[in-house]
Amino acid sequence: MSAPRFYGIRPPGIPNEPLPGRLIVIEGTDGVGRSTQIALLREWLESRGYAVVHTGFRRSDLASQGIQRAKRGHTLDPLTLSLFYATDFWDRLERHILPALRAGMIAMVDRYIFSLVARAILRGVPRDWLEDVYGIALVPDRVFYLDISVEQLLPRIINTTGLDYWESGQDYLRGPDLYNNYIEYQRALLAEYRSLAEEFGFQVIDGGQPIGTVFNALQAGVEEVIAGMTPPKRDEAKLNPEDSPGVEDSARIDLA
Amino acid sequence: MSSARNYDSNKGVSMALRPNTYPGKLLIVEGIDGSGKSTQLDLLHKWLVSEGYLVVFTRWNSSPIVRATTRRGKQRRLLTPVSFSLIHAADFASRLYMQVIPALQAGAVVLADRYVYTAFARDRVRGLDREWLRRLYAFAVEPTVAFYFDVPLDEAITRILEGRPSLKFYEAGMDLALSRIPSESFRLFQGLIQNEYDHLANEYNMVRIDATLQLIDQQRLVRQIVGPYLEGAIRLEKAEIQDALMAHRLGGRYLEDMRLRQRSPK
Repeated sequence: MSAPRFYGIRPPGIPNEPLPGRLIVIEGTDGVGRSTQIALLREWLESRGYAVVHTGFRRSDLASQGIQRAKRGHTLDPLTLSLFYATDFWDRLERHILPALRAGMIAMVDRYIFSLVARAILRGVPRDWLEDVYGIALVPDRVFYLDISVEQLLPRIINTTGLDYWESGQDYLRGPDLYNNYIEYQRALLAEYRSLAEEFGFQVIDGGQPIGTVFNALQAGVEEVIAGMTPPKRDEAKLNPEDSPGVEDSARIDLA
Repeated sequence: MSSARNYDSNKGVSMALRPNTYPGKLLIVEGIDGSGKSTQLDLLHKWLVSEGYLVVFTRWNSSPIVRATTRRGKQRRLLTPVSFSLIHAADFASRLYMQVIPALQAGAVVLADRYVYTAFARDRVRGLDREWLRRLYAFAVEPTVAFYFDVPLDEAITRILEGRPSLKFYEAGMDLALSRIPSESFRLFQGLIQNEYDHLANEYNMVRIDATLQLIDQQRLVRQIVGPYLEGAIRLEKAEIQDALMAHRLGGRYLEDMRLRQRSPK
């Protein structure tokens, strides 16, 4: 356990004390299988007695509704959208992720700052500025990047959600052709992810492989990250009176 | 992000904003609550319109697409120093790109009630790093003239507390836990902000106006200072509507309704 590290500065309100939990990030484009893998990882970790907290974009109490509303309009510039997402990110870091890490839990994060950085760069937001703003982000224990080719991605997307307006760059690409825009946008996005993977030392996993193969690779990586953590034995954690004084009493009152 | 940048709060580096390369002019006012800056900007607004300038006005924390989120955060007390800072930056960016820059491109005079310096002062008091704040707002356009309305703390506090039954949580800086008594917290908070403004006024060469002067004397100064900078800003043709109304001895009340409806946000 060491003191929390930030990419730039330590933001106010975050105590400089060791965090016993682990911050694990899964990055990758839409349709690469992040949600599936996270569902598998959570179940696997929980079955071994680890407490897992799961969070992803637009799940903050503060900004999620606002972002959704803003994206429905047609007057949203890339900088405002970036700052909106930064607010959402920070709210979740402060309210979901950090408390979990302090309590010795595993925070499993479906896209951290990197997807936000990649998307914004494509829309012309300067890289330096993004790196400055996200200097307040806690450095994760590990970032797994699920890589894939556009050719492999296309059938998956068409078979599931269909082509999405934002995930096709329709907001800034010139042509009206959704299919071509999707390909152009995802190519550029994947290139950006790969360059971030290099810069920030992600563990790259080929997301085009079968689900089981990807999961095995993730499991091996997660094992390394959680080595040295003692999984709380569930029953003990719940019933240890020193950890949670009064819990049983209040439970009794509720039942009565 | 990782190693490249060295953040040092004590360096005291001044970071310039983006120069205004547009034909329009950007005039902004700053000062603590109760300094009378909004009143002065309003008087300036009326004068510029009467002189035929195309004038666009923008107020801190008023973006139609961000404001609701800020309000939610304030009402539910969800905002912490960092989220407070980021959501206000989002609001600023939205107004800059939707209102301010297009107006400057068109050659208008843009009036801003509070600008980046409000964030520099408030967020710094809330503990954010000076340099991080300057980088956060590095996309802002440099004002043509920035006025700082300098008022003794006690006078500003009296002006505010007289006209208001109660202070809001964030307005009074209650999140900083300076005092449990809102009016006392407000006084301490405003004092800290004033101290920051004092440094900012020097750092960014803001024009200090003595806000204890008579309203009309302050306004005379403001107009004198603004005057020479207006060259190059576009002026509108005298409104023909006025001539038509006069010729038929009409007051134009439905036109006024129409104008109000156009201005109010949907």
